[in-house]
Amino acid sequence: MRQFFPVQDLARDERFVQTNMAERMADARTALDPEKKSKKSRGSSNRITPERHDASDAARGLMHGIMVGEIQALEGAGRTAHDFEAGDGSGDTIPFELKLDMARQAWDEARHVEISAKLSDWMGTELGQFAENTVLFQAACSDDPVLRLAGVNRALEGLAIDVFTQMKEFGNLAGDPYLAFCEDWMLADEVTHVKMGSDWLRKVTEKDPERRAKALEFQQVVDKLFSFGGARGDSEESPIGLARRFRELAGFTDGEVDKIAEMDHDAFEERMAAVRLAQEAAGASPAPA
Amino acid sequence: MADAPATTTVTVTPEEFHFVKYEASAIAAVVAELAELLGVTNPVHVVVDETTPLAKMSAEVGGTSSDATITIRAESGALEDTQHLTHFSADSARGALGRMMLRARDRLRPDFADTPGDLDLSLTENAAWDTYCAGRLARIGLPVNQQRFRYNHRNRFGFSDAVDAHFARLWAADDLGWADLCE
Amino acid sequence: MADTTTTESTVRAPFAPWDRRDLPGSFDVAETARRVGNYKWAEMKLFETLGGWVATVPELDVKMRLGTHCYHHAWHAELWHKRLPELREMKPERLTVPANDKMVEFIDAMAEPEAPELTIEKLVGVYRVLIPRFVAAYTFHRNNTSEITDAPTIRSIGFILQDELDDWRDGEMMLQSLITTPEHVRRAADHQARLESIMVDAGGIAGHGSIGFGDDPSTEGGG
Repeated sequence: MRQFFPVQDLARDERFVQTNMAERMADARTALDPEKKSKKSRGSSNRITPERHDASDAARGLMHGIMVGEIQALEGAGRTAHDFEAGDGSGDTIPFELKLDMARQAWDEARHVEISAKLSDWMGTELGQFAENTVLFQAACSDDPVLRLAGVNRALEGLAIDVFTQMKEFGNLAGDPYLAFCEDWMLADEVTHVKMGSDWLRKVTEKDPERRAKALEFQQVVDKLFSFGGARGDSEESPIGLARRFRELAGFTDGEVDKIAEMDHDAFEERMAAVRLAQEAAGASPAPA
Repeated sequence: MADAPATTTVTVTPEEFHFVKYEASAIAAVVAELAELLGVTNPVHVVVDETTPLAKMSAEVGGTSSDATITIRAESGALEDTQHLTHFSADSARGALGRMMLRARDRLRPDFADTPGDLDLSLTENAAWDTYCAGRLARIGLPVNQQRFRYNHRNRFGFSDAVDAHFARLWAADDLGWADLCE
Repeated sequence: MADTTTTESTVRAPFAPWDRRDLPGSFDVAETARRVGNYKWAEMKLFETLGGWVATVPELDVKMRLGTHCYHHAWHAELWHKRLPELREMKPERLTVPANDKMVEFIDAMAEPEAPELTIEKLVGVYRVLIPRFVAAYTFHRNNTSEITDAPTIRSIGFILQDELDDWRDGEMMLQSLITTPEHVRRAADHQARLESIMVDAGGIAGHGSIGFGDDPSTEGGG
C-alpha cells in the first residue's frame, strides 16, 4: 500500500460523483447577495432554519454534505493512523499514542457516517444524490502529520461543530425527534477531536516553533477554504453560523474564533466580488421579478 | 418555443443562459411532455432566474380560461442536476415543473378561486399543496421520493402519527379543492 | 475465666472451593513479554492496514466497518503497550517487534492489495488468515499462562478475544456477501493460500510455538 493516498483515488461506488472547490467557486451564481434581501418572500436570514421556504431541501442537502464529509474524515483519520511510523514525532513519525487517537477518531467518524446515512434516509435523501466536494479529504492529505492535525482536527472539525450546531438547532425548532438528538451526539465527539488536535499539535511542535507556526498558518488557510465563500460565518447571510459556544467548549479561544469570523467575512467579500465579475463578464442581467 | 402534440405553447426566458449550462429548448421539451401527461393545454411561459442556485418556484395563471397563460418562475436550482452543478437535469425539472403545472391546473378550477398567490402562501399551505401534487405525479409514473415529501410535511406540520396520516391522505388524493387542502 | 461468648471464626482457605485456579503457567515473565510484544506489533500492523484501506474500499458498509475495526485493534495494541512495562520492559518499543522476518513478509503481502476492485483480497487476508491466527494465539496463551501470576494478561486477552471473534464474524459475513461467483471464490482461495503459506513459515503471531506446536522451548512443560 502506498504511504500517501491521493484525493483523486478515493474509492466510491457508482452512486457518488465528486467535485472540488475550483468547480464550486467557478459557479457564478450565489444566494449570498445582501441586495437580494428585499426580494425574499419571508425573513431576511439565509440561515438554515425551518422558516426558510426551502428549509427541508436545504437541510437534506446539508445532511448529505455532512455524510460525505464524515466519509472523508473517516478516510483521513484512517490514513493518518497508517501513513506515519510510530516514533518521537520528528520528521515522518508520530507518537504511538497519536496513532491510537487517530484510530479512535476513525471509529468515531465511521459512527458519524452511520448516523448521517440513517438521517439521510429519514429525510428522504438518496446516497450520492448530491455532488461530493473532496476538499475535506484534501485537508488530510499533507505529508506533514502536523499539518493534518491543523487542517483536520482544528479546521475541519471546527467546521463540523458549526454545521452540527446549525442542524441541531434546526432539529429542535422543527420538533424532529431524531435530528437534534443525533447531531448532539456527533457534536460531543467533535469536541473531543478538536481537543485531540490542539493537544497533539502543541506536544509534537513543543520544540519546533517554526513547524508550529507553519501549522497554524495552514490551519488559517483551511479555515478560510471551509468558509465556502462566506457560506459559514457570523453574518445572518451565511446559511451556517459560527458556533461560538461549542467552539469555546472544544478549546478554541475567543481570539481564534474572532479570527475565523474575520476570515469568513473576507471570504464572503471575495466571493461577492468574484460573482459580480463573473456576472458582468457574462453580460446577462437577472431574470425579471 | 416548442409545441406539444396537443395545443400547448411553451416559451422559456432567458432564451440563452450564461451562468448555467441550460438549454431553453430542453426546458421547453420537459414542459411540453408534462403538459401532455397532465392534460394542460394553456400556454406556458417559464422564467428562470439563473443568478441564484436556490430552488424557489411559483406558478400563476392569468385567468381561468384555457388560453390564460401559465407563468412558472423557477430559480435555477430547481432544474439542476445536483450531482453536476450548473447542469440541467430533466428528471429534477420534471418533478419541480410537474408540481407547478399541477398547481396551475388546480388554479383553473373554481374551487381554487380564493387561493392566495404562491408567494403569499404560508409554509404549511405550501407543504400541503406540494404533498398533494407530488402524490399525483408519483401515480402517473414520475420518479418521486415519497420520503422527501413526508419529511417536508412533518417539518411543517409536526412529527406525529396524526400528521403522517394527514400526509398519507393528501398523497393519495385526487380532485381536491383549496378548502380540502387547508383542512 | 474463659470467655464463653461464641465468636464466629473468619478463617477461610485462601481459595474458595469453586476457585480452581492454579499457579503453574507455561510462560515466565520474559517469555510473556516477548509474546506480548509480538502481539502488540501484529495488532499495530493490522490497525494501520485497516486504517489505510478505508479510503481504498468503495463498498460503503465495508468502508465503515474497517474504520470501526481499526479502532478495535488499536485498542488491543494499547492494552499490550501498557502491559509491557508491567512485565519489566520499560521501553515497550524494544519488544514491539515481529516474531520473525516471515511475519513481516506476511504483513506486507496482506497489506499489498490497494486497488478499489480488490476488496475480497483485503478482507480474506485479515478475516480468513490473520484474525483466526490471533484467535488461536490468544486462546493458547490464555489457556496456558498462570491464572494467578499472569491474571492481567488473561484479563486483557478476555476483552481482546471477544473483539477478535466479533470482528472475525463481521469480516466473514462481509466476505460471504461479496463472494458471489466462481471467479470470486477462486480469487479468495488463491489469496488465502498464498498468505497461509507465508504464515505457516512464520509459525503464527508469536512465531513458532504460537499455539504450542513447533520448535519453541517455551512450550516444554506447559503444553
